[in-house]
Amino acid sequence: MSKEKKENIFRKCGRWLVRGLLGPQFEEKWFHIKKDEPKEIQYKNGVPDDSELIVSPGRQIFNRFLERKFAVLSVFVVLFMFLIVTIVPHFMTKYYDAYTEVTQKDLPPTMSFMSVPKDLQGNIKQISSYGSFSVGLSNDGEVYVWGATKIGATGLNVRDIPEEVKNNKMAFVAAGIDHIIAIGEDGKMYGWGSNRFGQYAVTETTLANPNLQPVPEAVLNGLDVSHIKKVVCGFQASAILMDDGVLYIWGNKQAYSNLVNFVDKDNIVDIDFTLNYVVGIDEKQNSVYTGTRGLYDTVRTSIGGKGEKLFQFLAGRKINEITATSTSICILLDDGSIAMVGDFPTDVIDVPTLPEGEGFTLIEGGTYHYTGVTNKGNVYSFGGDHYRQAEVPEGLTGVSKIYAGAFQSYAVDENGSLLNKWGLKGYLFGTDDRGADIAQRVIAGGRVTMTVGAVAVIIEIIIGVSIGLIAGYFGGWVDIFLMRVAEVFGSIPLYPFMLILSSLLAQVSLSTDARLYMIMVILGILGWPGFARITRAQILVARESEYVTAAQAMGVREVRIAFKHILPNIISVILVNMTLSFAASMQTETSLSFLGFGVTYPQPSWGNMLSRASNATAAINFWWQWLFTSAILVFTTVCINTIGDTLRDVMDPKSTNDK
Amino acid sequence: MGRYIIKRLVYMVAVFFLLTFLLFVLYQMMPANRAYTDAHTEVQALKKGLSAAEMETKFEELYLKYQRMYGTDTDNKLVLYLRWLGLYPFYNGKLNGIFQGNFGFSYEHNAPVVEVVGPPMRNSMLIGLVSEIFVLGITIPLGIACAVRKNSRFDRGTQIFTLIGFSTPSFIIYIVFIVFFCSILHLFPVSGMKTPGTSYTGFKAILDVLHHIALPIICLTFSSLASITRIARASMIDALSLDCIRTARAKGLSEKVVIYSHAWRNALVPMVAIIVGGFFGIIGGAMIMETMFGFKGMGLLFLSATRTADYDLIMFLEVIYTFIGLFSNLVIDLCYGLVDPRVRISK
Repeated sequence: MSKEKKENIFRKCGRWLVRGLLGPQFEEKWFHIKKDEPKEIQYKNGVPDDSELIVSPGRQIFNRFLERKFAVLSVFVVLFMFLIVTIVPHFMTKYYDAYTEVTQKDLPPTMSFMSVPKDLQGNIKQISSYGSFSVGLSNDGEVYVWGATKIGATGLNVRDIPEEVKNNKMAFVAAGIDHIIAIGEDGKMYGWGSNRFGQYAVTETTLANPNLQPVPEAVLNGLDVSHIKKVVCGFQASAILMDDGVLYIWGNKQAYSNLVNFVDKDNIVDIDFTLNYVVGIDEKQNSVYTGTRGLYDTVRTSIGGKGEKLFQFLAGRKINEITATSTSICILLDDGSIAMVGDFPTDVIDVPTLPEGEGFTLIEGGTYHYTGVTNKGNVYSFGGDHYRQAEVPEGLTGVSKIYAGAFQSYAVDENGSLLNKWGLKGYLFGTDDRGADIAQRVIAGGRVTMTVGAVAVIIEIIIGVSIGLIAGYFGGWVDIFLMRVAEVFGSIPLYPFMLILSSLLAQVSLSTDARLYMIMVILGILGWPGFARITRAQILVARESEYVTAAQAMGVREVRIAFKHILPNIISVILVNMTLSFAASMQTETSLSFLGFGVTYPQPSWGNMLSRASNATAAINFWWQWLFTSAILVFTTVCINTIGDTLRDVMDPKSTNDK
Repeated sequence: MGRYIIKRLVYMVAVFFLLTFLLFVLYQMMPANRAYTDAHTEVQALKKGLSAAEMETKFEELYLKYQRMYGTDTDNKLVLYLRWLGLYPFYNGKLNGIFQGNFGFSYEHNAPVVEVVGPPMRNSMLIGLVSEIFVLGITIPLGIACAVRKNSRFDRGTQIFTLIGFSTPSFIIYIVFIVFFCSILHLFPVSGMKTPGTSYTGFKAILDVLHHIALPIICLTFSSLASITRIARASMIDALSLDCIRTARAKGLSEKVVIYSHAWRNALVPMVAIIVGGFFGIIGGAMIMETMFGFKGMGLLFLSATRTADYDLIMFLEVIYTFIGLFSNLVIDLCYGLVDPRVRISK
């Protein structure tokens, strides 16, 4: 029994947390603990007053629990996890379950999307990015690459810049989804990265593939670099535009169905790639050219605005530039006004209304957002804002050039030094095979998994304890009957039953939430017999114990015996089993979801997020897709089980407390 | 003893019928109508030269014929269930169900279900038996050693490992093992039972199969080590704190005799359920393991059957699973009598 002064529970918890995390010296410092202060024994009527020394069994259990460092730590960890998965989703306002992004698939954990190399920061000539990596060109003609530079499972890394590119001065660079193109000052074209779809070189395999548009002869022979107007790369295609309107375009025709319409074009003013189409400006027609009738001919001046026909909107004005995101394009007219064509995602920041006399001089497009700079030197971002890429930092002045790509924007002054950058830094846990941020899905999935576990256990307890109570209390045929029922439920094979049920549920169109409730209820219904048996056994033991006999002899009412004497004894055992069952339910849910029979996509759960790892090649190539999730899952269940184990230990009067 | 077994058997049969009825009714909800599909395909086949009305009547005729053939010409679930069991006559007055030896026909495999189940069950039992022997051979000595040296450094170390192992869902263990052994070390093939494109014979064939099933066995063994070690340790600790152990020690018996003869006998009682249940569980296969390794066992068979809605096969497998569960409960109860001299099975 402890002789210490009674201490506030919260203070004690905090003290143990500090001690567990930082060490005893901090505990002494922060909580002003004076050690070994013997307490004077108070005398009351000449008898030592030991009322403070006597501790109730519950209190004793609690005190003994607090002495277990790891268990207390585990409680905090589990509570912390609970708080994170319940509170953080409310702050992930832009997160939704079914988010997919084709350009961000299978990216490893990195935070380097915007880490422009130091040497480049002072003299930027050009920055280009399309997918997961960016390529930069300095005024000295040096090429730099940053971001997630490994190309899928191919083993290629675009950071491995070819020696020729390093040794020669470059004039233009452009990044595609998995390749980079650079044009040297001598007019020679260099490429590196993936060449599976003939992105930069002509080989026998690319020639054999009829779906590929080969690199034009003229480009291979070398171009006059002073006449190159624009070099741009798309998903698996590239284009070089000369200032006389001649266009060289090549790449994967399956990625861009209208690419073939642009081959041998010689009247193009500007060109860019969306995710599925090549878009250009036709010089003579003064219109958006796609080679497909009816595509992209309705323009809007704001994202939610009404559409009108392009030629009506133009009213004699000339289209100067075109820039494309994945789903939309933006045209810049000669009077500085802009208009959008195409679709936008759900999270958008609308086009700013510029004051009178202000007009855009440059517009650049990322995957969903646009960033533009006006003739007054102001910078505006608009369009898709899922990763806050359209929120311009304040206090930007002296901007002369803007580079936007993927989910990032860079503001550069006239000397080419980087003023500011904003957008997506990277993914803490990488992305999954649909391009969604795993860190966000881990939190959302944790909410699902922990809720399923908790609710299933609560259902188990409600059914199990009440049936166990009734059976143990009434005895006789009620007991026999209820225990037989429990046995029937206990012998239902879980996995086969779940499989049948979920294939049944698949036939019925249920909302994802309804499906989730079904899983909770099923896990609860199949899990209660254990609780019933424990409760019943405890009650049977308790009914025969001396304290109950004593209470009965003293004439205490039956109900009072049941609730005041027996129930507290059972609660501790139920608590232990509740903790262990919670972890077990979480495990069952994850296993079922892993097999595809529990929580299903798009709703994330720690189980179904791991299902891709059942493929050995994917498991090794995309290790981040299972490692973090399973580590968090295991860590959480270890903590919950530690709590359960410790509770059982400290409640067992036989267990010794020696270290 | 005899009366007890008979009583238990009667009870078992009752629960068996109840459970299978439940599952049967559940599965009847599945929107699959074989009679309709068959009639439809047959009508489609003889489409030519028939008017719409003729086709309608022809279809009705065929539909009724197939319904009668499959015994689905009623909505009464109990009748359907009894027909499936073979206790209620079909339209033609004949009994044709499980009791007549007709367990059903797998449409996916195009064979009677009994034949379909044979090879996977053999595979599952082979791999399960080996791993179960390994598991018991490792966990029981380990559990005893931990309990005897309770709170020693060895015990604490083992406790940490078993806690982590116990908290890790088995599929995560499999992922880690596959990545480690297949992708990093290239020691074992990832899936299959033999190297594709080879026709080894004799000793070489055995070696090839062993090479393929080694990793599943290792995984299966490893995934159940932790929980059984924990149970063995806990029951051994309980047994060591019994009064009879103190008496045995007081008598001056050697520590070996005390532990292996006195304490172990008592510790075995709670272990019986685990050991017997484990051996029976082998028949059912290890679903997650088999899915991950593509190992053609019972679990994978069940999974593919549910995916393809192979009705008869699922029901037959359900019957097997339920039967195993109930029968192992009976055997466990009987084993208690064998293991624990204090348990007298009489009434």
